[in-house]
Amino acid sequence: MSERVALSLMVNGEAHEVAVPARKLLSDVLREELGLTGTHVGCEHGACGACTIWVDGAPARACLIFAVQMTGRAITTIEGIGDGALTAFQQALHEQHGLQCGFCTPGIVMTVEAYLKENAAPTEAEVRDLLSGNLCRCTGYHNIVKAVLATVATARA
Amino acid sequence: MSDGFDVIGKPLLRKEDRRFLTGQGRYLDDIVIPRALHACFVRSPHAHARIRAIDVAAAKAAPGVVAVVTGAELADWTTTLRMAPPIEGLVPMEMTALPRDKVRFQGDPVACVVARDRYLAEDAVEQVAVDYEPLPAVADMTAALAPGAPLVDDALASNLVSHQHASFGNPAQRFREADRIVEARFSQGRQTHAPIETRGCAAIWDEGRQHLTFHIGNQVPHGFRTQLAARLTLSESQVTIVCPDIGGGFGQKIALYREELTVAALARALKRPVRWREDRIENLTSASHAREDFVRTRTAVARDGRILALEVEIVEDFGAYSFYPANYLARVIAMILTGPYRIQDYAYDVKIALTNKCGAGPMRAPMAITSWVMDGTIEAVARALGLDPVAVRRVNMLRADELPYTMATGERLEDVTPRETLEAALTAIGYDGFRRDQAADRARGRHRGLGICAVVESTTYGSTFYKAAGIPGSGHEAAWVRVDPSGAVSASVGLMASGQGYETALAQAVAEGLGVTADAVQMQMGNTDIAPYGMGSRGARGATAGGGTAYLAGCELNAKVRSIAAGMLGLNTADELRMRAGRIERHVAGAWTDAGVTLVDVARRAYLDPTNLPAGMAPGLDCHKTYDPPQMTYSNATHVCEVELDVATGQLTLLRYVIAEDCGTVLNPALVEGQQHGATAMGLGGALYEQVLYDADGQNLSASFVDYLLPTAAELPPFEVIAMHTPNRRTPTGLKGMAEGGVMGAIGAVTNAVNDALAPFGVIAERQPLTPMYLRDLLRGRT
Amino acid sequence: MKPAAFTYHAARSLDEALALLAAHGEDGKLIAGGQSLVPMMNMRLAQPRHLVDINAVAGLDRIALEGDRLVLGGLVRHQALARAPLVRAHCPILAAAAASIGHHAIRARGTLGGSLAHADPAAQLPLIACLLDAAIELRSAHGARTVAAADFFAGVFATALAPDELLTAIRVPCAVPGQGWGFRLMSRRVGDFALAAAAVIVTLDTAGRVETLQAALGGVEATPVTLGPMAYTQQGQTPHAAWCAALATSFAAACDPIDDPRVPAAYRGELAEALLARALADALARTRGRTP
Repeated sequence: MSERVALSLMVNGEAHEVAVPARKLLSDVLREELGLTGTHVGCEHGACGACTIWVDGAPARACLIFAVQMTGRAITTIEGIGDGALTAFQQALHEQHGLQCGFCTPGIVMTVEAYLKENAAPTEAEVRDLLSGNLCRCTGYHNIVKAVLATVATARA
Repeated sequence: MSDGFDVIGKPLLRKEDRRFLTGQGRYLDDIVIPRALHACFVRSPHAHARIRAIDVAAAKAAPGVVAVVTGAELADWTTTLRMAPPIEGLVPMEMTALPRDKVRFQGDPVACVVARDRYLAEDAVEQVAVDYEPLPAVADMTAALAPGAPLVDDALASNLVSHQHASFGNPAQRFREADRIVEARFSQGRQTHAPIETRGCAAIWDEGRQHLTFHIGNQVPHGFRTQLAARLTLSESQVTIVCPDIGGGFGQKIALYREELTVAALARALKRPVRWREDRIENLTSASHAREDFVRTRTAVARDGRILALEVEIVEDFGAYSFYPANYLARVIAMILTGPYRIQDYAYDVKIALTNKCGAGPMRAPMAITSWVMDGTIEAVARALGLDPVAVRRVNMLRADELPYTMATGERLEDVTPRETLEAALTAIGYDGFRRDQAADRARGRHRGLGICAVVESTTYGSTFYKAAGIPGSGHEAAWVRVDPSGAVSASVGLMASGQGYETALAQAVAEGLGVTADAVQMQMGNTDIAPYGMGSRGARGATAGGGTAYLAGCELNAKVRSIAAGMLGLNTADELRMRAGRIERHVAGAWTDAGVTLVDVARRAYLDPTNLPAGMAPGLDCHKTYDPPQMTYSNATHVCEVELDVATGQLTLLRYVIAEDCGTVLNPALVEGQQHGATAMGLGGALYEQVLYDADGQNLSASFVDYLLPTAAELPPFEVIAMHTPNRRTPTGLKGMAEGGVMGAIGAVTNAVNDALAPFGVIAERQPLTPMYLRDLLRGRT
Repeated sequence: MKPAAFTYHAARSLDEALALLAAHGEDGKLIAGGQSLVPMMNMRLAQPRHLVDINAVAGLDRIALEGDRLVLGGLVRHQALARAPLVRAHCPILAAAAASIGHHAIRARGTLGGSLAHADPAAQLPLIACLLDAAIELRSAHGARTVAAADFFAGVFATALAPDELLTAIRVPCAVPGQGWGFRLMSRRVGDFALAAAAVIVTLDTAGRVETLQAALGGVEATPVTLGPMAYTQQGQTPHAAWCAALATSFAAACDPIDDPRVPAAYRGELAEALLARALADALARTRGRTP
């Protein structure tokens, strides 16, 4: 049952051919087979959000997906965000000191960037609600919330 | 606030951010190690059981498995840890690499499978058959200390592993004189650090060089190296610790754990790299726990609210193993408990109990309960006497003219500003207005509460502290600063970051001392071959010990730079010279002017033209420095929290949170504020949500994030921070440090707020976490 | 925690999915959103030897109006339930309940069919299905049947689903004009499973008295509890505050709440009562066109 399944993964716009056991989680395949270590593993039960990626542009927990399920799906990871430069939100996190150890940060960026594609003007309460699926043990979230609101304010200006 | 500093005190953006923002951080699991095997531990399902036999045959034959080892093999490869500091009242404890005779908590590791990958290793773990003989377990500290309780450690006479008590002044007399005697109780739930990155390590044994390279995210790399080498009977020079980026530590990533020792021993025995990643279940059940304690105070008071004497009794549930000296955690609580209050007649009694639970370790602010106990006692006094709790604080709180103040325990408070932070916090939250609005709200069935907590935080422990306390160890720190021939500046300190922003803050300290920009300073930390032997990142010593040493090293090198520059300028003395942003300036006719000499010029001379250096000066441009901070350094704060309580459901909403803090000189105020947020959040988590719950048989009921609840952004309030800066007169630049006081203040402020909301119902919350279920229990029949 | 090994099958059609389920019986498990199943597999609490992935099966994600019923396919994601105009218009309580599930990433993948089949006592969608007495459509390789929600949920993580059956769709009644709904849930943190949840729909007659009433509680017992016969006795009642309180009290008192180490039965019962009273008030406000 450790037989490998051959599959083609589309990640950050590039196709990758891998052969992995059916049970290997997408989080592990991204990190190990593809060397994309920006997606972090914090719990493997969908609670912490550190492994958040996009599947066809929608946020998803990579630790709750088997890589073999992703045939024909477009996956985006933190490495696929920003095109070489920091996005407005990433820059805002930097300016607002919205990260400390950085382990939860890619998951937060993926969650927020997905949301901002469709929502231009969240209130602070909505921002906190949005972030409720990403655990951070370092920052107390205050500056992350500020960074989201700053990003939104700048975009509107 | 810069107060005469060029670089220190500026809210510079962090140098380390870019890699973290873009997913290019390099954490332990991101490191590729060819041919590495993966370790996975077999763990006890029982809280207490004899190990009769371990059958590894099926596991060894499982696909991809290279080795399966137990305590027996490891005993050949490692020494036993003996935790026996010469402290009165502390019973020595021993711990082998893996247990051989019995397991002491659910999750205790008994064997290790090494396989091609973690998936296969977990399959094989299920194939290991351990024959256990379950024993009665003790899962409650009171039961553990009762006569006849099952022994957690058979080598000890009882489960009381540490008992310390002391009395100062004449408490008995004060109790006789008192107008009232007030009793109060406080109890914290068992908690765990839960960094988002769990524990892990990777060991590479070089058989040819007989050298171990051990990759691990650890807050105290040199101390870890010393321990690891000793346990493996290697010379310390045969071991290199390399710390990658760390996804949070909070005190959990300091000790040498048995899993890590096992991985190192296996790499050497198998002559293949071995790596280990702990999963979240293991992290929550089997890494280290903290805080579960029960405290009782008894206070002699005069009717005007003055505290005449204070007695405190502390019992702590330490779990089954001693990763640290068992008195370590409670000792500080007892020592600093009186905090900012004028109390000279004081007694404490601290007992530490072993139980069949995961062992305890220092969790950000091991002394967390201190401020809640002291300020909660103040609140109890106010209630008993019918006085305003703010008035009781003002009556008892030290005034500026009383400083320096020597506490009953001998601790010296100097350059602290408890009153100033109290008044600032009360003004910011609008205390008087709140009381008026609260009365009106109560009439309408809306129950809000306001809680205050004064914090005096012991941040940095000097070597004289350890000596005075009879604890082996040192409080000094070490740094080097080097300028290379091209003018590039590198520096190192014996600390290791797990989110504190040292690459920026410590660069600022070096830059300030040396006279360059923070941008120009490249910090290199966490590699024990490169960094000088330091005492690591623990408590809140990063700024004072780490930053202080880095600054002093920078200053010393600056002196050499100016001497060389003076020579280059044909001056007799360097006194009229300074360096700013790498350029030498000379004080001429009352003003500083650019002298046309740069650090690059000086460095070139120092390395490549040494015969032109001042007479007697050695070539090169680097400096190594150590610094021992004062015996103790304190910072202080006042936290004020406003809550709303839904009495029908027990649900709490945190409406406002104000922190007025005085951390002295700060390296980077933005980073300091971030630390306040994070510490406060952790305190609120423990006070309201987090609980490691064991049942009566020692089964851990909180093995995942579904049950062990960390607060999210939706539960936490915004934090309003008022920063004050009273420099410490004894430390370099007046640094004090901080980072744990937030936990202390949060625990007290939120509980006092809840009790303020509960006041109309005549009930007191004494136990954390303050769950809706607990609050409804208190309210049942009274609403 | 890594899952145990399994053989993976990606079904390309409903028939293929059903054939795979028939072939593997108890050894087979469907995977749709995976938000409940994969955590259990990662913790090795579930170790299916065969996983049948139905994400690519067409036709299972319809949202359609058929007469006075809303038809919702088993593969409809929670996010879609929360946002779809048809759901918001014709079954607003379902949209509200779906919007409260977990977090964005969970709602993007979790499915209606998956949530109903998983039957967590505290879950929102089983609660609403019972409130509305949804008709739950099941298919197997041998045929099709419809089970009423009241008969579908059997216990904690237990339903009437046979190992070879797949939940293809549910039908729920559309809200009638003037109907008010109330949905109140309490959890420790945003997105957590509910400690208890109350759902109410009510219509009033022209005199402002209760005409129809349905109420249900989730998270209190092993399966959702509906008001049942007690609903009929409320017809004609004047819905003032005292009525809300009394109804909440008697409905909660009729329950036998789960008792567990963290949440004692007494608490759950009180919580149910408080949430019911508030959900009733919300529903009544909505009958008057007001947003509570």
